Amino acid sequence: MTIALILVVVAFLALAVLFRIAKGQASADKLLDNPSQHMRSVDIEAFRNLIDPEEEEFLRRNLTASEFRTVQRERLLAAAEYVAGAAHNAALLLRLGEAARHSTDPATAQAAEKLIDNALRLRLYAFQVLARLYVGTIIPGVRISPVRIAERYEQMTREVVMLGCLQYPTRGVSAAM
Amino acid sequence: MSALRFLYYYLWIAPHVLQVVILFAMVQRRLHERFRMFFLYTGFEVLQFALLFSVRQFLTITQQQFFLLLTIGLTASTVLRFGIIYEVFLELCRAYPALKNLLGVLFGRTALALLLTAAVLAALTPGNGIYRFRFVVSVFDTSFSIVQCGLLLFLFLFSRYFALSWRQSVFGIALGFGVYASVELASSALRSQILPGTHLFDYLAMATYHCCVLVWLFYILASAQEPRLIVQKLPGHDLETWNQELQRLLHQ
Repeated sequence: MTIALILVVVAFLALAVLFRIAKGQASADKLLDNPSQHMRSVDIEAFRNLIDPEEEEFLRRNLTASEFRTVQRERLLAAAEYVAGAAHNAALLLRLGEAARHSTDPATAQAAEKLIDNALRLRLYAFQVLARLYVGTIIPGVRISPVRIAERYEQMTREVVMLGCLQYPTRGVSAAM
Repeated sequence: MSALRFLYYYLWIAPHVLQVVILFAMVQRRLHERFRMFFLYTGFEVLQFALLFSVRQFLTITQQQFFLLLTIGLTASTVLRFGIIYEVFLELCRAYPALKNLLGVLFGRTALALLLTAAVLAALTPGNGIYRFRFVVSVFDTSFSIVQCGLLLFLFLFSRYFALSWRQSVFGIALGFGVYASVELASSALRSQILPGTHLFDYLAMATYHCCVLVWLFYILASAQEPRLIVQKLPGHDLETWNQELQRLLHQ
């Protein structure tokens, strides 16, 4: 009886998730109408500063243990915000890449494939980094070095610029977004 | 003919008539080459219906013999459904080669975990001595529903996290099976444990299947109008423009 009830609850939860995803799928294409409106601002330099081990070491040396824990938690939460923003933007850029990947022009299709590849890798790193950052907020001593996410984000930015220029040579990347 | 009897026949016949339409639509759009398992499954369901309906209407067989036939059909359908889930998985791998390894590993592990969960739950389910065969079938039904529902949910959640876009036809096929597996999971659990002997869940499963067939039909028909981007010609390599745009974007 208990097992049956658990299965029924699980089945209804699964149904709810499916309907939510179906709804999301229907509205996802609308993002392409004006992607720049949905982009989040990500300051790479500020992010690099937040995750800089030297900066962390400096704070550790100059603050008391409890002060360091508080400051470090705030820094990691801010870094997590940036990572979430970068992951969100990667999802949008992935859609842009999707729209261009079937282009008849090989250079555009190749640029789109590269953009998709990098956006996917960034989402994957973001997943791992976010987990580490949140663990870091609970255990402040844990070493976190999510430098690759900043590099990947910059690379992805370059690729979307390239794709924009390939698709809209006269208007530049802003037209693509 | 009573209203309930009419509903029963409608829910039994209508989805299979629509599945014939799906078969034709797939051949017309050449989707049968791409989704072989789904095409095979749809064809099998139509044939199975034709056989069971004829046997029920024109031959005198016992309830037990009919149930045995139904069970054989159900087993084959279950195997084909796993084939379709694998087909959906392969479609995702094909569309996103960068995720192929990760998706493969996670898909395998999820399948293993779901199989173990289903086995444990099946072992914990209290037996019913009177209808032993039906009980075993019901437990297997529930177990396979758990695995199918879990695998489809995994594929949807994975795609959701990575913001993968599905082709309409693939999405429709997976969505239909996901909904059917979820409802089948709930109804098989309730049927075997809480309200055995009632036909209410048979109606529920049949109505859900009808809805799923409509979903498949909709997405198969809609797949012909999937949007494609119109791309302009490749420009000359204007590195200066690219550089300016890159500088502007990085300094925003």
